[in-house]
Amino acid sequence: MSEDSKSVAETLVSNRRDFIKNSAFFSAATLAGGVGMTVSSGAWAAGSDKPEKTQVKVGFIPLTDCASIVVAAAMGFDKKYGIEIIPSKEASWAGVRDKLVNGELDASHVLYGLIYGVQLGIGGIKNDMAVLMGLNNNGQGITLSRQLLDQGVKDGPSLAKHIKANPREYTFANTFPTGTHAMWLNYWLASQGVNPIKDVKNIVVPPPQMVANMRVGNMDGYCVGEPWNARAIADNIGFSVATSQDVWADHPEKVLGATAAWVKENPNTARALIAAVLDASRWIDNPKNRPLVAKLISDKSYVNAPEAVIAGRFLGQYDDGIGRKWQDKHSMAFFRDGQTNFPYLSDGMWFLTQHKRWGLLSTDPDYLGVAKQINQIDLYKQAAAMARVPVPKQVMRSSKLIDGKVWDGKDPKAYAASFAIRA
Amino acid sequence: MLKFSAALPANIAAESIRMRRRKLQAHAMQVLPPLLGVLLFLLAWQMLAGFRSDLPGPGATWDAALTLFADPFYENGPNDMGIGWNVLHSLARVGLGFGMAAVVGIPLGFIVGRSAFISGMLSPIMGLLRPVSPLAWLPIGLLVFQKAEPASIWVIFISSIWPMILNTAAGVRQVPQDYLNVARVLNLSEWKVLTTILFPAVLPYLLTGVRLAIGVAWLVIVAAEMLTGGTGLGFWVWDEWNNLNVAHILIAIFVVGLIGLLLEQTLVLLARRFEY
Repeated sequence: MSEDSKSVAETLVSNRRDFIKNSAFFSAATLAGGVGMTVSSGAWAAGSDKPEKTQVKVGFIPLTDCASIVVAAAMGFDKKYGIEIIPSKEASWAGVRDKLVNGELDASHVLYGLIYGVQLGIGGIKNDMAVLMGLNNNGQGITLSRQLLDQGVKDGPSLAKHIKANPREYTFANTFPTGTHAMWLNYWLASQGVNPIKDVKNIVVPPPQMVANMRVGNMDGYCVGEPWNARAIADNIGFSVATSQDVWADHPEKVLGATAAWVKENPNTARALIAAVLDASRWIDNPKNRPLVAKLISDKSYVNAPEAVIAGRFLGQYDDGIGRKWQDKHSMAFFRDGQTNFPYLSDGMWFLTQHKRWGLLSTDPDYLGVAKQINQIDLYKQAAAMARVPVPKQVMRSSKLIDGKVWDGKDPKAYAASFAIRA
Repeated sequence: MLKFSAALPANIAAESIRMRRRKLQAHAMQVLPPLLGVLLFLLAWQMLAGFRSDLPGPGATWDAALTLFADPFYENGPNDMGIGWNVLHSLARVGLGFGMAAVVGIPLGFIVGRSAFISGMLSPIMGLLRPVSPLAWLPIGLLVFQKAEPASIWVIFISSIWPMILNTAAGVRQVPQDYLNVARVLNLSEWKVLTTILFPAVLPYLLTGVRLAIGVAWLVIVAAEMLTGGTGLGFWVWDEWNNLNVAHILIAIFVVGLIGLLLEQTLVLLARRFEY
């Protein structure tokens, strides 16, 4: 069996070199494989590869992008790799941070930027952290209040004009100071000419509080994951002015995070965990399975929200609440042939450049060094081989963001300093 | 004269009717105001719900409660348990934190009450720490215990210990000096003083402290669980808040209130038994 899996791994490695050419083959093969894929890749069973822990407690926040953790546990992908994932619903991102650091959780569905923040001691007591894999791209959004709409704000430029013409305290909310939502909100506001630090008030509150405050007119806008933007529209208290994929198409979002110490002590468990979640991710991104997943995660055990509120945007059907409806090409993705899941160093470094830009970091960190330390690329590659998921050749990727700037991870210091609007 | 004597039995009858009526009235006065209060409350609630479509009225809440309590002890994995389990988990935490607070707080109260020196030593610290909001203790608990469960028990402990110390100490100070003088004349040991003089005299104060403390403990656990997660009434409320399920939040408010009332009434009953 171990020989068998070794040969699988070897073929994968050789195939990996020209994976872009072969990605069509891969996706076809994986689609055919589906859930029924056999245990032939069970490298874990062989002697020293055995997971150190059989039960892995993985935290999640009730948002639609926790789906791959839930599916990995609920559909039994974890058993295939010799572990049992126990999803644990958490109260807040701060709670996730605390439970990761004190070891109550083995790993968690967590904001990319939160892990980087804790590593550098911002937004939490400094602790060495690890990103095991990416969980999803896209699928977050920025909502503005109905009051603003009534005053003629329909998009970014009209918001910028309105704020200049009607000076008062504008309140925007995000979910965690160093988190992804704070960064999308800041980046988007800045791209529209609004300084998110100087021109508006930025607060961190839990999503239900955002909705409640917007209902009573205390909140002008917020950036958060689904289903909360869809919810504002359903409740008729706000509208979607932008999606996070508008800011950065196929941006990194939630990751599977852990502490560096946990990964060091449990490398085999970590590998099995990544492989199981990779299998789940592939299964979710099969369009056939998506409606099923929407139903599964709407359960009270997980997201605990009406399926109708979750399903639309989960299937890529967008409605901005003021008349525009579209099928989004960059809606929430969980797999994209492994592109979503590969822990690109440039993705992690981007959050550091933004932390620097908005004054969360006072000096430039060792961008590449920090990212290399956190993102567990070697471990990921081994797990990807187990799950037969293609791995990209480069550890950096190049993306063009909403303001036309290109981020490729090459000169982070210059990139961080290149923004006109900053803290 | 005749007229008068005829009026007499009539007078007596009238008197007895009046008495019965008074009795009835007293009964009614006991039942009526609370009933009226509840009725007015429901009416106000219903009216409010009429104005705000997102606030479920008493009827809708009652319906939701019926389905919720139809199966209070179901188990659907660690993230979805019946409301009964959540209540029991919360009560267990309260019991533990509160119990420890009693074990530490009551003896400490005796010492503080007995010794002016120790009282002087502790009073600035207690004065400073007592008004601290219970939830401010949570991060400290997390930091020290590195786990959410003991941290929430710690929060209960630290916030319910003050009423017990202070009331016990106040009780000890209220013990008439004559009693203690007698004890001194009889050359009683400190232990004897404690068990035969102080304890019986202090008991009513002590029980008041315990009653106040259980109220605080129950108040605090719901808030602490909202922050720490896990199974418990507090996180259940938080999860329903996440779902914006207002009917369930209202139910939870009633459940929290009812259990708090029950806890306190039990202790009041206990206190009455000891007072007489």
